[in-house]
Amino acid sequence: MAAPLLEPASGSRQEPPLLLVGTDYRCSPIELREKVSYGKEETEEMLVHLLARAEVAEAFLLSTCNRTEVYLQPRDEEGAYNAILDMVFLHRVPELERPGRLYVKRNGEAARHLLGVASGLESMVLGEPEILGQVKQASALAEAVGAEGPVLRRLLRSATAAGRRARQETAITSGAVSLGYAVVELARNIFRGLEECQVLLIGAGEIARSVARPVVERGARELLVANRSLERAQQFKAEFPNAEILAFDERLAALQTADLVIASTGADEPVLTRAHLKAAMKHRPSQPLLVVDLGVPRNVEPRAGRLENVFLHAIDSLDTLIQRNLKRRKEEVPKVEEIIEQELTHFRGWVRGLEAEPLIARLQKQAEKIRRNEMEAALARFPQETHEELERLTRSLVRKILHHPSTRLRTRDGGAGDLSRLDMVRELFHLDDDETAD
Amino acid sequence: MQTFLDTAIILLPLAYLLVAVDYGFLFFSSHPVAERTATPALRGAVLLHLAYLVALTVHRHQFPAATVAQALSMVAFFVAVVYVFVEWHGRARSTGFWLVSLVFFFQLLSSVLTRPNPPDRAIFHDPFFSVHVLLALLGYTAFVVAAGYGFLFLQLYRDLKSGRFATFYGKLPPLEVLERMMTGALLIGFAALTGAVATGAFWANRLYHDQWLHDPKILFTVATWVLYAAALLLRKLRRWQGRQTALASLAGFGAILFSLMAVNFFFTGFHGFL
Repeated sequence: MAAPLLEPASGSRQEPPLLLVGTDYRCSPIELREKVSYGKEETEEMLVHLLARAEVAEAFLLSTCNRTEVYLQPRDEEGAYNAILDMVFLHRVPELERPGRLYVKRNGEAARHLLGVASGLESMVLGEPEILGQVKQASALAEAVGAEGPVLRRLLRSATAAGRRARQETAITSGAVSLGYAVVELARNIFRGLEECQVLLIGAGEIARSVARPVVERGARELLVANRSLERAQQFKAEFPNAEILAFDERLAALQTADLVIASTGADEPVLTRAHLKAAMKHRPSQPLLVVDLGVPRNVEPRAGRLENVFLHAIDSLDTLIQRNLKRRKEEVPKVEEIIEQELTHFRGWVRGLEAEPLIARLQKQAEKIRRNEMEAALARFPQETHEELERLTRSLVRKILHHPSTRLRTRDGGAGDLSRLDMVRELFHLDDDETAD
Repeated sequence: MQTFLDTAIILLPLAYLLVAVDYGFLFFSSHPVAERTATPALRGAVLLHLAYLVALTVHRHQFPAATVAQALSMVAFFVAVVYVFVEWHGRARSTGFWLVSLVFFFQLLSSVLTRPNPPDRAIFHDPFFSVHVLLALLGYTAFVVAAGYGFLFLQLYRDLKSGRFATFYGKLPPLEVLERMMTGALLIGFAALTGAVATGAFWANRLYHDQWLHDPKILFTVATWVLYAAALLLRKLRRWQGRQTALASLAGFGAILFSLMAVNFFFTGFHGFL
């Protein structure tokens, strides 16, 4: 299989050894993405197949509605790349071979990309919060089939840390950026809690359902639905079993008790007039009423918005809210990028520490060998009852002497001096590879 | 002691100004430094204020509301304490900037109006008379808090009505909560002011017989009481909603300021304190 996307490797030894191949909403339309979408069992199966390849040491597959990405720790980069390309993507969708459909990232760039994904920076809706949970689920799946090794496990820990910090320390996920959540946000600025709100839906079509979902999800318990077609109202009830169906004419009486009204009918004339709302408000003058008009043409007479305690918002107003929230999220991007860089630095430090581990092990082994030899020669000169104490003392000495050098080797700064420092330790302590055989 | 009092009267408005700026950063930009420092800074300022009031009481041997300046400082202190409690109880600091700004305003007025040697009023040595003063202070404090929440209610109401979602939208408690806080404060304030007027009438009748009835301070206080009574009554009768009540709380706040400042300094004779 040709590998047109894979450029020759240029990363240094300081970079984490990673390979990412993926496609997302920016590269591929939904018709292609859905064909390379992997469910739970398919993901497990694919990970097992990938791991069976000699070129692959560790693997992680993330598949959501907006992206399918495979992260590998390769033994042989080109072989691993060809394996992903063929098994994960082209086997299902040959059209993905066309330029621009797939992206390939390596080493530090691959790691940065995953941290960006977990933080919501790569999402179709900037700061979308669900992605962090999806990354965690995918990670758990890879762990369960044994596809995660130390490198990917540590990378995923950094990714979830970055995602969690982005949510906690910045406003990247704040503010509603969809119609349904914009309604929830408006309601939360007026009422003490959605749990206590009675919601009246006038119209039971797709828009009503899409708005009702987040409203119910966020706690609204009492749902009234008034629709001209009883059949459609019944369909609505099938999805929302707690909803109470009203005759269309009963909507006016329901206005007297409702807190939130969502109108989304296809009617040419307003289904709620100023007179209707004025009459209803007489029964509840001090109780605020939020009216959301999602109809085009408008379902609620605009003049009704001037009534005291009536908060009328049409689709334009909700769009203003969504655009405002998106702008605020964009302003948070530099803060999230800073968090990603911090987590990436920790990850890189860990990877560098990983390189030093064999050397540290050799150093400790050699010190222990010297300690044992010296002890064997010396123990005969000391009484039996002191041997245990001498053992403890010499072990402690060795551990303390090696503590600082080991720590320094693990926490190198990634500069040019790191490699020469490793060589120097090898030279100073005479740590040849041959000696480690025992 | 005098040195501490002289220093504290300068430090207090400065401290509240810094705290207000801190809360301002918190409200407008959620600045991380302000996130960490606002609450401890406010608590520090309130402790300094408490020390000042205790020192004042010990030094003068009287309830620290014998002058308008002292009364203003007491109101500032009580508003700060109310906010510290609200913040602690509700775990929300979104209204901090506005209430601490009011605290700063009252303390600044107090510091500016403080005179080195205030008159020693014998009546303030009577612990029973202190009940009248304490009730009046409690009432004014509650009305100041009501005005603060009323102001915020009106801003959020306007943002929500207009659909512009400007400065206040998304940063304050919900409209219903602001309305409830405002109404609660108004009710407490009204009950306290009623008590203050009743106890004041009792004392004035004993000391001054009928002369006090025509004093401008008394007339203006009764007018303020009537304004709040009307607002609460209209609300009870469901003729007024949150917006009108909030406007009334702001009007009442203006009346209190006028009563404390202009009436005390220019019109009244016998009620030259609170």
